[in-house]
Amino acid sequence: MQLLVNPADELPIYRQIMRQIEEAIAGGRLKPGDKLPSHRDLAEQIVVAPLTVKKSYDELEALGFIETQRGRGTFVCATLPPVNHAGQKAQVREAARKLLSSAYLGGLDFNAVVKILKEAERDITQGREKEAS
Amino acid sequence: MNPILEFDHVTRAYKKGVPVLDGVSFALAEGEVAGLVGRNGAGKSTLLRIAMGMLVPQQGRVRVFGLSPIDDPVEVKKRIGYVAEDQVLPAGMSIAELAALHRALFPKWDGAMEKDLCDRFGLSPRDRIKQLSKGQKREVALMLALCHRPELLILDEPAGGLDPAARREFLEASIRLLNREGSAILFSSHHMGDIERIGARVLLLDEGKIRLDCELDRVREDLCVAMVPKAWIEAAALEKTPGCLRVRPVFDDWHAVFQGAPETVTAQLRGPLGSRGVSCIRVPLEELFVELVGGKPAGENA
Repeated sequence: MQLLVNPADELPIYRQIMRQIEEAIAGGRLKPGDKLPSHRDLAEQIVVAPLTVKKSYDELEALGFIETQRGRGTFVCATLPPVNHAGQKAQVREAARKLLSSAYLGGLDFNAVVKILKEAERDITQGREKEAS
Repeated sequence: MNPILEFDHVTRAYKKGVPVLDGVSFALAEGEVAGLVGRNGAGKSTLLRIAMGMLVPQQGRVRVFGLSPIDDPVEVKKRIGYVAEDQVLPAGMSIAELAALHRALFPKWDGAMEKDLCDRFGLSPRDRIKQLSKGQKREVALMLALCHRPELLILDEPAGGLDPAARREFLEASIRLLNREGSAILFSSHHMGDIERIGARVLLLDEGKIRLDCELDRVREDLCVAMVPKAWIEAAALEKTPGCLRVRPVFDDWHAVFQGAPETVTAQLRGPLGSRGVSCIRVPLEELFVELVGGKPAGENA
């Protein structure tokens, strides 16, 4: 699993891990039934305290995205949590307004925003490109 | 569960009436990782040396594995891995000789980990200590502290003098130790990013007291910094606002650290101030450190 955490990000590290796993599930890079690395292995891989990774897994489990089967490991749930379509739509609409206003304030036009959306779509379905610095 | 390390109202002064540690209390449980932060001279090294029994507290009590590090030094020290701020290693010995000495002293010595860490750090076992750079000596000291698989690691600025790649290797090795042994780690550091990576808890030492003892995630989620123009409110009034931890001047604004989510604090401040322009943000540990102990607090005039 490809994850990158950044201590200077505004989100705490356990939330960064949660967000990236949610993104991978939303984008189909992680499919129902896929096995996740153990929290200890992932901790070594991304160099983060094992308890922090455990906390992300626990929260994702409570949200119904992943499940731990004793002795077998942690998996993406076969059926993902039911979606509150109306609520989700309202949230996305709100986010879209924020997105457009920040784009327009930054001098981008609508087409530029569509292009950015397409890039984001590619990021979450195919994995994030290493950020160019 | 009994704590691995326990400080109970520990006080220590080097000069009479000027305590470096002033009634410090905290406890560390098995498997817990705590980062000790504070400005230079805040008493971090003193605290760690007292935990090792190398300094005696003038008041208060210290227990390590339930024992006194002063009355039971051998029993305590063989279960601790320690690296001092200015760790001195015997100059004439080679890395291999030092490792052999430690292997003889510590029954749990892990030869595979020794080899792995030497490889990762790029150390050649045949090199003598006097031939090594400052950072390489630090790497040897860390290797020696980690490889006997201690139940408690006490590290005084483990990353001091290490390059970023070596720091990352050290963090990885610490995480493997946590995974395999469930050891507890107490380490002081000025690298807030390292603390966010491997720490679960942060202890901020300031003027001899523990100013903040908090889970890192809660630091991120429950503390925020409010920026308010100086013209609008007196520092004293801001300090009296519920949840305010510290106020310091930054050009034309006050920066105030608050307990609470940014939205709540903004609403709370907009009530009395009655206008826009108050902004509250969540900040990384590094910024929070500066806000809590940097500069002069609002009460003291330059």
